[in-house]
Amino acid sequence: MKNIRKILEDATNGICYDSYRYCADEELKVPTINYEETQSFTLLKDRYGETDTSLKHTKDLTKKAKQLSDSEPLFKYFLDGSRRTYKVDDIEINKRIFPIMAGQIGVACCERKNPNNFKCKELESNLVLSLPVEANPETRNTELFFNNLKEKINNTPRVQKIGLKFSNILSYSSKANVDSKELKYEHLGIAAIQDEMVDSEKKIVANLTAKNLLNEDSYLLKDGSLQYKPMKTGEYKELSKIKNNYRCVIGVSKLFNPEFSKDRSGKSNAALLAKLPLYHRTPAYMFQHEREKWSYLGDYKYSVWYVRIRDSKHTESPFAGIVKIEKILITENENENGLESDLIDVITSNIINERNPVCYGKDSRWANHLYPVYLTELFLKSKYLSDIHFLNLF
Amino acid sequence: MKQIGKIIATEKVPTTVDEFFFWTDKELIIKPFDVVKVNHIKSSITFGVVEEISHLTDNSSFLAGYISSDFGDVNYQQYTQRIGMNYVRAKVVGNSQGIYTPVLDGSFVSLASEDDIREALGLKDIKNPLPCGYIEMYEQPDSVTIPVHFNSHFLIGPEGAHLNISGISGLASKTSYAMFLLKAIQDQYIEKSKGESVAFVLLNVKGRDLLAIDEINEELTSDDKSIYKMLDLSTIPFQNVKYFYPYSKDIVSSTYGRDVKSQMELNKAFLYKYIFEDDKESIDLLFSNVDDPNQTMESIVNYIATGQGGFNGITNWNELLNEVYEHTKAGASGKDKEITVLSWRKFYRLFRKTIEKTTIFSNSISSKPKDNETRLKEAILNIKKNDVFVIDVAKLDEETQGFVFGDVMRSIYELKLGQAYDRNEADIPSKIVIFIDELNKYASKEVPKSSPILRQLLDITERGRSLGIILFSAEQFKSDIHDRVKGNCATHAYGRTNAIEISKPDYQYVPPVYKSMLTRLKQGEYVVQNPVFRSLLNIKFPRPIYKQFKNG
Repeated sequence: MKNIRKILEDATNGICYDSYRYCADEELKVPTINYEETQSFTLLKDRYGETDTSLKHTKDLTKKAKQLSDSEPLFKYFLDGSRRTYKVDDIEINKRIFPIMAGQIGVACCERKNPNNFKCKELESNLVLSLPVEANPETRNTELFFNNLKEKINNTPRVQKIGLKFSNILSYSSKANVDSKELKYEHLGIAAIQDEMVDSEKKIVANLTAKNLLNEDSYLLKDGSLQYKPMKTGEYKELSKIKNNYRCVIGVSKLFNPEFSKDRSGKSNAALLAKLPLYHRTPAYMFQHEREKWSYLGDYKYSVWYVRIRDSKHTESPFAGIVKIEKILITENENENGLESDLIDVITSNIINERNPVCYGKDSRWANHLYPVYLTELFLKSKYLSDIHFLNLF
Repeated sequence: MKQIGKIIATEKVPTTVDEFFFWTDKELIIKPFDVVKVNHIKSSITFGVVEEISHLTDNSSFLAGYISSDFGDVNYQQYTQRIGMNYVRAKVVGNSQGIYTPVLDGSFVSLASEDDIREALGLKDIKNPLPCGYIEMYEQPDSVTIPVHFNSHFLIGPEGAHLNISGISGLASKTSYAMFLLKAIQDQYIEKSKGESVAFVLLNVKGRDLLAIDEINEELTSDDKSIYKMLDLSTIPFQNVKYFYPYSKDIVSSTYGRDVKSQMELNKAFLYKYIFEDDKESIDLLFSNVDDPNQTMESIVNYIATGQGGFNGITNWNELLNEVYEHTKAGASGKDKEITVLSWRKFYRLFRKTIEKTTIFSNSISSKPKDNETRLKEAILNIKKNDVFVIDVAKLDEETQGFVFGDVMRSIYELKLGQAYDRNEADIPSKIVIFIDELNKYASKEVPKSSPILRQLLDITERGRSLGIILFSAEQFKSDIHDRVKGNCATHAYGRTNAIEISKPDYQYVPPVYKSMLTRLKQGEYVVQNPVFRSLLNIKFPRPIYKQFKNG
């Protein structure tokens, strides 16, 4: 009986090493300031991210949040994506040794109909493999080759017996290894899986938009940044084309590098952020892609601001309790003058009102977590195959 | 049927041959003892009985709950309710194809239909059915009511016999339940002209409880009557009832009964007496609660009964008392060295107390028919099929109560062992059911081992089944009762009890939730255990069919 590794050997003319299989993710244990966040976006100096240009310091939203707490919440949909990656073997192709990476990708969008009704609306749950492009013995027909390989793998008895299917075999270019800082092939493999996940996220947003579910009264809250890295591949790589899907979507990041928080003049704002009072937000700033590098993708700007949802006396670090909020600027007016300050206030107040319940004791990032997002994340994790189960497919 | 959840099997809490867990919506109403069914392999159905229901959220600690209310703001309203569900632990009671492998994770769990419930609980195709109440399951609109039947062979023999009912007084209505079952038995046997037959001997130990069981209960509503109809029972009270009251001249001083005279006129009430000549062998029963480690009391009784010493030729109770008194005098022990004067004195003290206090010890029995006087033993030896004898002992002192009860048991034993010379075997009821409340007086763990009543009770519970003597007993606290007495009861009914009682080892096998349910049972609700049922059943029964006295 052929197993997956045997099929890979046959198809790629390589040799599998039967090396140790493991989960490549490092579980986040202690919340730390994320100094390693990469930033491919730059602050637009001297531009306001919102229409109210008089806001110099911070704005107290306690009253506004209280006022809004009696009305229907703005956020109705919650989106989260995650992936779990594994190194399943090493393969020798043309005297070079590459890792075979595999991953489980999950992206879910949950809908909150009322405080007691929280259900999954959309779910993308995929198994993928990530191989170097060299896996294809020929130079042409890469897509066809990987598709065929996928079919072969899906037809193995072991995979069929448990009723699973690999949805895609991803490829990464080993050339990137030379000029990028990513020194390990492993990281390239993971990056490919990550990109696939991001693509799934975009797909779900596109689906929701297509179904007309997002509007001024029902926003989508996405976990993490909206600052998608421009990608070379993927169905939704052209950001400017999908920009309109994001009219009613905001991104909320639990973890962010405070060093990237800059004031309008481009100076670090980190110290001020640490002192941000409870339920206050910062002015919104405007960000943009690194223009020179990605200009072909078109105009793509964001407003970014921060809000403190939990008193720093209750949290373990000055940045715990602060979330970063992003929104893509859609209209011409927005691109020129930034978001309406009123809208920012409404969004921020709603975020403040989402602060409870907390996942205190369950997740060390509780101070930055929003419960519906936490639930979505939990739902996704529950959909994963266990590590042992997944690793033993190979 | 309605699907209510799915099986969960986890690493730490797997499903087993015995039990499984499933989740349900937090707002679904389900209760312990409800039956659920699970789709299992090979299209079989596994049945379970709900034992425990827990509500669970992802709250990791109480503190998280406090924090989630905005650090202790009671008025705080949140946009999202914490995710929560109920999970239910159920005990496996069977599988439609006898497959007992654990049910599988993710299998559908649904409510059961009436037929399913019967199958699950072993209520289907019961042989010799005898109604013992009904069960109510689920909430509207899914609620079902199912009559429950014992297999009478497991209640009154020959397969299993004896019933024990426990529960605190008043709230548990032990007497009512025993009477309900007895009524069901009478209903069933009164129609039978051939084969097995039954008669009843009931002891009325408090107030007027059982002194009008052949009179109708006027407070019975049509709802109650419809329950009797559902259970296939007649709505008439007991038939062929005879009441036996302790004799006293004015009647009132020895009984709480008020209609004795009119009952006597109808020839259904009698006054019982004890005559020395015929009843002297039973004196030992008067001392059953006296600690007698050296068996001196027993020797004295034996001494008297065999007519040794001066006891030969005594014809009445007073002479006996005088003769005993003689033995208590100093130097009197010369007559018999084995029994000391001190023992005689003790015997005299106890014996005199009883004889002087009660009026049932008499010299003669009136032969006038309208006096309706009788010896109990005689009456019992002549008991007929379907007869119900109610023997009133409520107003007697404790020793005399024991004496009467012991004597009744002995008489029944004699009857069944064929010592009633002049009776045709075929006329003797094949089964005699004795009902005694406050069993703890006679068979508690503290009763001296030498007690003749305890010995008699042990005899009945251990060997009575084959003789056709069936004991229905009741007491407040089961844990007080002698292990061999309760151990031999095939059927147990648990009424409402208290927290101290359920902490006793007797209730060790009862799941914790059922235990606490026992402390909350309503009047007219019982948890029943019978060999035929696959699990404990929470049954209900209608209000008594016979006349009730509100003030005892």
